[in-house]
Amino acid sequence: MAQMETALSDAMSSIEGAVGVALVDYTSGMALAALGDNQALDLNVAAAGNTDVVRAKMRTMEMLELTGSIEDMLITLTNQYHIIRPVTGKSGQGLFLYLVLDRKRANLALARHRLAKVETDLEV
Amino acid sequence: MGLPISPPPPAPAGLLDRFAAERVTGALSGPHGCFYFLDGAVYCIESTAAPGLGSRLTAAGKLPPQGWEHAAEAAGERRTGGRFLVEEGWLTQGELEICHLAALLDAAFFALELPPEAASFTPGTAHWLGVIRPVSITALQQATARRRALLDRLQPWAAADTSPVIPAGTPVPAATTRRQRRLLDRADGRHTPYELARLLGESAFATLLDIRLLAAAGLVLVPPPPAPLPRRRPGACLDAPPAPATAPHPAPAPQRSVPDIFDTTDPNIALLVRLRTALEEEL
Repeated sequence: MAQMETALSDAMSSIEGAVGVALVDYTSGMALAALGDNQALDLNVAAAGNTDVVRAKMRTMEMLELTGSIEDMLITLTNQYHIIRPVTGKSGQGLFLYLVLDRKRANLALARHRLAKVETDLEV
Repeated sequence: MGLPISPPPPAPAGLLDRFAAERVTGALSGPHGCFYFLDGAVYCIESTAAPGLGSRLTAAGKLPPQGWEHAAEAAGERRTGGRFLVEEGWLTQGELEICHLAALLDAAFFALELPPEAASFTPGTAHWLGVIRPVSITALQQATARRRALLDRLQPWAAADTSPVIPAGTPVPAATTRRQRRLLDRADGRHTPYELARLLGESAFATLLDIRLLAAAGLVLVPPPPAPLPRRRPGACLDAPPAPATAPHPAPAPQRSVPDIFDTTDPNIALLVRLRTALEEEL
Protein backbone atom coordinates (compact mmCIF):
# COMPACT_ATOMS: atom_id res chain seq x y z
CA MET A 1 0.00 0.00 0.00
CA ALA A 2 1.26 3.45 -0.83
CA GLN A 3 2.40 5.75 1.93
CA MET A 4 -0.63 8.04 1.69
CA GLU A 5 -3.07 5.19 2.13
CA THR A 6 -0.99 3.82 4.98
CA ALA A 7 -1.18 7.14 6.80
CA LEU A 8 -4.90 7.46 6.16
CA SER A 9 -5.68 3.91 7.18
CA ASP A 10 -3.73 4.48 10.42
CA ALA A 11 -5.98 7.47 10.97
CA MET A 12 -9.11 5.40 10.44
CA SER A 13 -8.00 2.72 12.84
CA SER A 14 -6.46 4.93 15.53
CA ILE A 15 -9.07 7.68 15.69
CA GLU A 16 -12.18 6.60 17.55
CA GLY A 17 -15.36 7.42 15.67
CA ALA A 18 -13.64 8.15 12.32
CA VAL A 19 -16.11 7.82 9.45
CA GLY A 20 -13.80 8.96 6.67
CA VAL A 21 -10.56 10.76 5.98
CA ALA A 22 -9.13 12.31 2.84
CA LEU A 23 -6.09 14.21 1.65
CA VAL A 24 -7.26 16.98 -0.66
CA ASP A 25 -5.67 19.52 -3.00
CA TYR A 26 -7.43 22.80 -2.33
CA THR A 27 -7.17 24.46 -5.69
CA SER A 28 -8.57 21.53 -7.61
CA GLY A 29 -10.64 19.80 -4.93
CA MET A 30 -9.16 16.49 -5.99
CA ALA A 31 -8.85 13.92 -3.22
CA LEU A 32 -5.31 12.58 -3.63
CA ALA A 33 -6.25 9.76 -1.32
CA ALA A 34 -9.44 8.94 0.57
CA LEU A 35 -10.56 6.19 2.88
CA GLY A 36 -13.79 5.57 4.69
CA ASP A 37 -17.40 4.66 4.57
CA ASN A 38 -18.65 6.01 1.26
CA GLN A 39 -22.19 5.02 2.20
CA ALA A 40 -22.18 7.55 5.02
CA LEU A 41 -20.57 10.33 3.02
CA ASP A 42 -19.16 10.77 -0.47
CA LEU A 43 -15.64 11.83 0.43
CA ASN A 44 -14.84 13.02 -3.07
CA VAL A 45 -17.78 15.41 -3.03
CA ALA A 46 -16.96 16.53 0.50
CA ALA A 47 -13.35 17.13 -0.54
CA ALA A 48 -14.27 19.25 -3.53
CA GLY A 49 -16.98 21.15 -1.67
CA ASN A 50 -14.74 22.14 1.22
CA THR A 51 -11.98 23.69 -0.84
CA ASP A 52 -13.77 27.05 -0.90
CA VAL A 53 -14.03 27.04 2.88
CA VAL A 54 -10.34 26.35 3.23
CA ARG A 55 -9.29 28.90 0.63
CA ALA A 56 -11.44 31.60 2.17
CA LYS A 57 -10.10 30.95 5.66
CA MET A 58 -6.47 30.81 4.50
CA ARG A 59 -6.89 34.07 2.65
CA THR A 60 -8.51 35.78 5.61
CA MET A 61 -5.65 34.69 7.81
CA GLU A 62 -3.13 36.11 5.38
CA MET A 63 -5.04 39.38 5.24
CA LEU A 64 -5.17 39.69 9.00
CA GLU A 65 -1.43 39.12 9.13
CA LEU A 66 -1.77 37.00 12.23
CA THR A 67 1.50 35.43 13.16
CA GLY A 68 0.02 32.06 14.03
CA SER A 69 -0.97 29.63 11.32
CA ILE A 70 -4.08 27.51 11.07
CA GLU A 71 -3.72 24.18 12.81
CA ASP A 72 -7.19 22.98 12.07
CA MET A 73 -10.78 24.05 11.51
CA LEU A 74 -13.74 22.42 13.16
CA ILE A 75 -17.19 22.22 11.71
CA THR A 76 -19.77 20.87 14.12
CA LEU A 77 -22.85 19.16 12.75
CA THR A 78 -25.62 17.76 14.90
CA ASN A 79 -24.27 14.26 14.49
CA GLN A 80 -20.79 14.67 13.02
CA TYR A 81 -17.60 16.61 13.46
CA HIS A 82 -15.62 17.63 10.37
CA ILE A 83 -12.00 18.57 11.03
CA ILE A 84 -9.94 20.26 8.33
CA ARG A 85 -6.20 20.39 8.83
CA PRO A 86 -3.98 22.21 6.29
CA VAL A 87 -0.77 20.29 5.60
CA THR A 88 2.24 22.43 6.42
CA GLY A 89 5.19 20.35 5.16
CA LYS A 90 7.14 21.80 2.26
CA SER A 91 5.98 19.13 -0.16
CA GLY A 92 2.40 19.23 1.11
CA GLN A 93 1.74 22.88 0.32
CA GLY A 94 -1.77 23.42 -0.99
CA LEU A 95 -3.15 20.27 0.62
CA PHE A 96 -5.44 19.67 3.56
CA LEU A 97 -6.55 16.66 5.57
CA TYR A 98 -10.26 16.19 5.94
CA LEU A 99 -11.55 14.03 8.78
CA VAL A 100 -15.17 13.14 9.41
CA LEU A 101 -16.10 11.86 12.86
CA ASP A 102 -19.22 10.35 14.35
CA ARG A 103 -20.04 12.80 17.11
CA LYS A 104 -21.47 10.17 19.44
CA ARG A 105 -18.32 8.06 19.44
CA ALA A 106 -15.57 10.62 18.94
CA ASN A 107 -13.28 12.26 21.44
CA LEU A 108 -12.57 15.59 19.86
CA ALA A 109 -9.35 16.46 21.69
CA LEU A 110 -7.86 13.05 21.03
CA ALA A 111 -8.94 13.12 17.39
CA ARG A 112 -7.23 16.48 16.81
CA HIS A 113 -4.08 15.18 18.43
CA ARG A 114 -4.08 12.02 16.30
CA LEU A 115 -4.78 13.95 13.12
CA ALA A 116 -1.67 16.04 13.78
CA LYS A 117 0.30 12.79 13.86
CA VAL A 118 -1.26 11.67 10.59
CA GLU A 119 -0.01 14.86 9.01
CA THR A 120 3.57 14.09 9.99
CA ASP A 121 3.17 10.46 8.89
CA LEU A 122 2.14 11.56 5.39
CA GLU A 123 5.63 12.61 4.48
CA VAL A 124 7.41 9.65 6.05
CA MET B 1 9.57 28.58 -22.50
CA GLY B 2 5.93 29.02 -21.74
CA LEU B 3 3.01 28.79 -24.03
CA PRO B 4 2.56 31.46 -26.65
CA ILE B 5 -1.10 31.68 -25.70
CA SER B 6 -3.17 31.65 -22.54
CA PRO B 7 -3.76 28.18 -21.12
CA PRO B 8 -6.33 26.40 -23.23
CA PRO B 9 -9.81 25.52 -22.01
CA PRO B 10 -10.28 21.93 -20.87
CA ALA B 11 -10.28 19.41 -23.65
CA PRO B 12 -13.28 17.87 -25.22
CA ALA B 13 -13.00 14.63 -23.40
CA GLY B 14 -13.52 12.07 -26.19
CA LEU B 15 -10.08 10.67 -26.85
CA LEU B 16 -8.92 10.43 -23.23
CA ASP B 17 -12.20 8.86 -22.12
CA ARG B 18 -11.84 6.27 -24.82
CA PHE B 19 -8.31 5.49 -23.67
CA ALA B 20 -9.57 5.06 -20.11
CA ALA B 21 -12.41 2.79 -21.23
CA GLU B 22 -10.08 0.67 -23.35
CA ARG B 23 -7.59 0.45 -20.46
CA VAL B 24 -4.66 1.28 -22.70
CA THR B 25 -1.01 1.26 -21.68
CA GLY B 26 1.46 3.54 -23.41
CA ALA B 27 2.28 7.17 -24.10
CA LEU B 28 -0.04 9.70 -25.70
CA SER B 29 1.62 12.90 -26.82
CA GLY B 30 -0.22 16.04 -27.80
CA PRO B 31 0.69 19.66 -28.50
CA HIS B 32 0.90 20.67 -24.81
CA GLY B 33 2.30 17.55 -23.21
CA CYS B 34 2.60 13.80 -22.99
CA PHE B 35 0.42 11.42 -20.96
CA TYR B 36 1.67 8.04 -19.75
CA PHE B 37 -1.07 5.46 -19.27
CA LEU B 38 -1.17 2.21 -17.37
CA ASP B 39 -4.37 0.20 -17.79
CA GLY B 40 -6.30 3.33 -18.71
CA ALA B 41 -5.13 5.41 -15.73
CA VAL B 42 -2.61 8.24 -16.04
CA TYR B 43 0.52 7.90 -13.91
CA CYS B 44 2.73 10.61 -15.37
CA ILE B 45 2.25 13.78 -17.43
CA GLU B 46 4.99 15.88 -18.92
CA SER B 47 3.86 19.32 -20.00
CA THR B 48 5.76 22.00 -21.83
CA ALA B 49 4.10 24.69 -19.70
CA ALA B 50 4.47 23.33 -16.16
CA PRO B 51 7.69 22.58 -14.26
CA GLY B 52 8.06 18.83 -13.88
CA LEU B 53 8.74 16.81 -10.75
CA GLY B 54 12.51 17.10 -11.29
CA SER B 55 12.49 20.91 -11.45
CA ARG B 56 10.22 21.11 -8.43
CA LEU B 57 12.31 18.80 -6.28
CA THR B 58 15.58 20.41 -7.34
CA ALA B 59 14.25 23.92 -6.66
CA ALA B 60 12.99 22.80 -3.26
CA GLY B 61 16.51 21.57 -2.46
CA LYS B 62 15.40 17.95 -2.16
CA LEU B 63 17.57 16.72 -5.01
CA PRO B 64 21.27 17.49 -5.46
CA PRO B 65 22.21 19.13 -8.76
CA GLN B 66 22.15 16.45 -11.48
CA GLY B 67 20.24 14.19 -9.09
CA TRP B 68 17.31 13.99 -11.49
CA GLU B 69 19.57 13.02 -14.38
CA HIS B 70 21.25 10.37 -12.25
CA ALA B 71 17.85 8.94 -11.39
CA ALA B 72 16.91 8.85 -15.07
CA GLU B 73 20.09 6.95 -15.92
CA ALA B 74 19.79 4.60 -12.97
CA ALA B 75 16.18 3.80 -13.77
CA GLY B 76 17.11 2.44 -17.19
CA GLU B 77 14.93 -0.27 -18.58
CA ARG B 78 13.48 -1.20 -15.19
CA ARG B 79 11.54 2.08 -14.97
CA THR B 80 12.08 2.45 -11.27
CA GLY B 81 13.29 6.05 -11.10
CA GLY B 82 10.87 6.90 -8.30
CA ARG B 83 12.18 4.12 -6.11
CA PHE B 84 15.75 5.23 -6.85
CA LEU B 85 14.99 8.76 -5.54
CA VAL B 86 13.71 7.27 -2.29
CA GLU B 87 16.51 4.73 -1.92
CA GLU B 88 19.13 7.46 -2.35
CA GLY B 89 17.61 9.07 0.75
CA TRP B 90 16.75 12.28 -1.11
CA LEU B 91 13.10 12.13 -0.17
CA THR B 92 10.66 9.86 1.58
CA GLN B 93 8.03 7.72 -0.11
CA GLY B 94 5.31 10.04 1.20
CA GLU B 95 7.05 13.13 -0.13
CA LEU B 96 7.54 11.43 -3.48
CA GLU B 97 3.84 10.59 -3.73
CA ILE B 98 2.69 14.06 -2.72
CA CYS B 99 5.13 15.96 -4.93
CA HIS B 100 4.48 13.64 -7.83
CA LEU B 101 0.72 14.16 -7.66
CA ALA B 102 1.16 17.92 -7.33
CA ALA B 103 3.30 17.98 -10.48
CA LEU B 104 0.88 15.68 -12.29
CA LEU B 105 -2.13 17.86 -11.48
CA ASP B 106 -0.28 20.95 -12.59
CA ALA B 107 0.78 19.40 -15.90
CA ALA B 108 -2.73 18.05 -16.50
CA PHE B 109 -4.11 21.59 -16.40
CA PHE B 110 -2.14 22.49 -19.52
CA ALA B 111 -1.85 19.14 -21.27
CA LEU B 112 -5.54 18.20 -21.25
CA GLU B 113 -6.08 20.36 -24.31
CA LEU B 114 -5.65 17.50 -26.72
CA PRO B 115 -7.13 17.80 -30.20
CA PRO B 116 -7.45 14.20 -31.45
CA GLU B 117 -5.86 15.04 -34.78
CA ALA B 118 -2.73 16.39 -33.05
CA ALA B 119 -2.31 13.45 -30.67
CA SER B 120 -0.15 10.43 -31.32
CA PHE B 121 -0.16 7.25 -29.26
CA THR B 122 2.75 4.86 -28.77
CA PRO B 123 1.53 1.62 -27.18
CA GLY B 124 3.66 0.12 -24.46
CA THR B 125 5.94 3.13 -23.92
CA ALA B 126 6.56 3.73 -20.21
CA HIS B 127 8.12 6.60 -18.25
CA TRP B 128 11.41 5.96 -16.49
CA LEU B 129 10.00 7.28 -13.21
CA GLY B 130 7.74 4.27 -12.95
CA VAL B 131 4.21 4.09 -11.67
CA ILE B 132 3.92 6.02 -8.40
CA ARG B 133 0.24 6.88 -8.11
CA PRO B 134 -2.02 6.47 -11.13
CA VAL B 135 -5.01 8.84 -11.39
CA SER B 136 -8.18 8.30 -13.37
CA ILE B 137 -8.89 10.54 -16.33
CA THR B 138 -12.25 11.49 -14.80
CA ALA B 139 -10.60 12.72 -11.60
CA LEU B 140 -8.08 14.73 -13.60
CA GLN B 141 -10.78 16.33 -15.73
CA GLN B 142 -12.84 17.29 -12.69
CA ALA B 143 -9.82 18.71 -10.89
CA THR B 144 -8.79 20.68 -13.96
CA ALA B 145 -12.31 22.04 -14.45
CA ARG B 146 -12.36 23.38 -10.89
CA ARG B 147 -8.96 24.99 -11.35
CA ARG B 148 -10.12 26.52 -14.61
CA ALA B 149 -13.17 28.00 -12.87
CA LEU B 150 -10.85 29.66 -10.34
CA LEU B 151 -8.76 31.16 -13.13
CA ASP B 152 -11.79 32.19 -15.17
CA ARG B 153 -13.11 34.34 -12.33
CA LEU B 154 -10.10 36.56 -13.05
CA GLN B 155 -10.62 36.58 -16.82
CA PRO B 156 -10.26 40.40 -17.17
CA TRP B 157 -6.61 40.02 -16.12
CA ALA B 158 -5.85 37.16 -18.50
CA ALA B 159 -3.41 39.38 -20.40
CA ALA B 160 -1.05 39.03 -17.43
CA ASP B 161 -0.62 35.30 -18.15
CA THR B 162 1.79 35.60 -21.01
CA SER B 163 3.52 38.93 -20.65
CA PRO B 164 6.58 39.69 -18.51
CA VAL B 165 5.58 40.34 -14.91
CA ILE B 166 6.19 43.99 -14.02
CA PRO B 167 5.64 44.88 -10.36
CA ALA B 168 3.70 48.13 -10.04
CA GLY B 169 6.17 49.35 -7.44
CA THR B 170 3.46 50.38 -5.03
CA PRO B 171 3.80 49.35 -1.37
CA VAL B 172 2.67 45.77 -0.97
CA PRO B 173 -0.39 45.65 1.26
CA ALA B 174 -0.94 43.06 3.91
CA ALA B 175 -3.52 41.19 1.87
CA THR B 176 -0.96 39.26 -0.11
CA THR B 177 0.17 35.75 0.59
CA ARG B 178 3.75 34.69 1.18
CA ARG B 179 3.74 33.04 -2.24
CA GLN B 180 2.57 36.24 -3.89
CA ARG B 181 5.25 38.30 -2.14
CA ARG B 182 7.85 35.79 -3.30
CA LEU B 183 6.60 36.18 -6.86
CA LEU B 184 6.76 39.97 -6.60
CA ASP B 185 10.32 39.68 -5.33
CA ARG B 186 11.36 37.59 -8.30
CA ALA B 187 9.46 39.60 -10.91
CA ASP B 188 11.95 41.68 -12.84
CA GLY B 189 9.91 42.79 -15.82
CA ARG B 190 11.54 40.20 -18.07
CA HIS B 191 10.06 36.85 -17.05
CA THR B 192 6.53 35.70 -17.80
CA PRO B 193 4.52 33.84 -15.13
CA TYR B 194 5.41 30.55 -16.83
CA GLU B 195 9.10 31.35 -16.60
CA LEU B 196 8.79 32.45 -12.97
CA ALA B 197 7.10 29.14 -12.15
CA ARG B 198 10.00 27.32 -13.75
CA LEU B 199 12.63 29.43 -11.96
CA LEU B 200 10.98 28.88 -8.60
CA GLY B 201 10.11 25.24 -9.32
CA GLU B 202 6.48 25.87 -8.43
CA SER B 203 3.10 25.08 -9.86
CA ALA B 204 2.51 26.95 -13.12
CA PHE B 205 -1.23 27.01 -12.44
CA ALA B 206 -0.79 28.50 -8.97
CA THR B 207 1.61 31.07 -10.42
CA LEU B 208 -0.87 32.11 -13.12
CA LEU B 209 -3.58 32.41 -10.48
CA ASP B 210 -1.40 34.49 -8.17
CA ILE B 211 -0.22 36.79 -10.94
CA ARG B 212 -3.82 37.40 -12.01
CA LEU B 213 -4.76 38.12 -8.39
CA LEU B 214 -1.83 40.53 -8.11
CA ALA B 215 -2.84 42.19 -11.37
CA ALA B 216 -6.41 42.53 -10.09
CA ALA B 217 -5.06 44.15 -6.92
CA GLY B 218 -3.02 46.57 -9.02
CA LEU B 219 0.31 45.20 -7.78
CA VAL B 220 1.35 43.92 -11.18
CA LEU B 221 1.02 45.95 -14.37
CA VAL B 222 -1.10 44.43 -17.10
CA PRO B 223 0.00 45.27 -20.63
CA PRO B 224 -2.49 47.58 -22.33
CA PRO B 225 -4.47 46.20 -25.23
CA PRO B 226 -3.06 47.10 -28.65
CA ALA B 227 -3.65 50.79 -29.43
CA PRO B 228 -6.73 51.35 -31.57
CA LEU B 229 -6.35 52.80 -35.03
CA PRO B 230 -6.64 56.57 -35.20
CA ARG B 231 -10.27 57.57 -35.36
CA ARG B 232 -11.61 59.40 -38.34
CA ARG B 233 -14.28 61.99 -37.96
CA PRO B 234 -17.33 61.13 -39.97
CA GLY B 235 -17.19 63.02 -43.17
CA ALA B 236 -13.53 64.01 -42.80
CA CYS B 237 -11.13 63.27 -45.63
CA LEU B 238 -7.36 63.30 -45.75
CA ASP B 239 -6.76 65.68 -48.62
CA ALA B 240 -9.28 68.28 -47.54
CA PRO B 241 -7.75 71.77 -47.60
CA PRO B 242 -6.74 72.94 -44.13
CA ALA B 243 -9.14 75.32 -42.53
CA PRO B 244 -8.06 78.95 -43.08
CA ALA B 245 -6.07 80.13 -40.08
CA THR B 246 -7.92 83.39 -39.95
CA ALA B 247 -11.39 82.06 -39.86
CA PRO B 248 -13.83 84.74 -38.83
CA HIS B 249 -15.44 82.44 -36.29
CA PRO B 250 -14.33 79.23 -34.65
CA ALA B 251 -14.61 76.18 -36.84
CA PRO B 252 -18.00 74.58 -36.46
CA ALA B 253 -18.12 71.31 -34.60
CA PRO B 254 -17.71 68.46 -37.03
CA GLN B 255 -21.05 67.37 -38.21
CA ARG B 256 -22.28 64.20 -39.70
CA SER B 257 -23.16 64.88 -43.30
CA VAL B 258 -26.16 62.83 -44.22
CA PRO B 259 -27.68 63.44 -47.61
CA ASP B 260 -31.25 64.60 -47.52
CA ILE B 261 -32.32 61.51 -49.30
CA PHE B 262 -31.70 59.57 -46.07
CA ASP B 263 -33.71 62.02 -44.04
CA THR B 264 -36.60 59.66 -43.96
CA THR B 265 -39.13 58.24 -41.61
CA ASP B 266 -38.86 54.75 -43.07
CA PRO B 267 -37.61 52.71 -40.06
CA ASN B 268 -35.56 50.36 -42.24
CA ILE B 269 -33.65 53.17 -43.89
CA ALA B 270 -33.26 55.00 -40.58
CA LEU B 271 -31.70 51.84 -39.17
CA LEU B 272 -29.31 51.62 -42.10
CA VAL B 273 -28.33 55.25 -41.63
CA ARG B 274 -27.64 54.73 -37.94
CA LEU B 275 -25.63 51.66 -38.78
CA ARG B 276 -23.61 53.52 -41.39
CA THR B 277 -22.91 56.34 -38.95
CA ALA B 278 -21.84 53.95 -36.26
CA LEU B 279 -19.51 52.17 -38.68
CA GLU B 280 -18.00 55.44 -39.78
CA GLU B 281 -17.33 56.37 -36.19
CA GLU B 282 -15.58 53.06 -35.66
CA LEU B 283 -13.18 53.72 -38.55
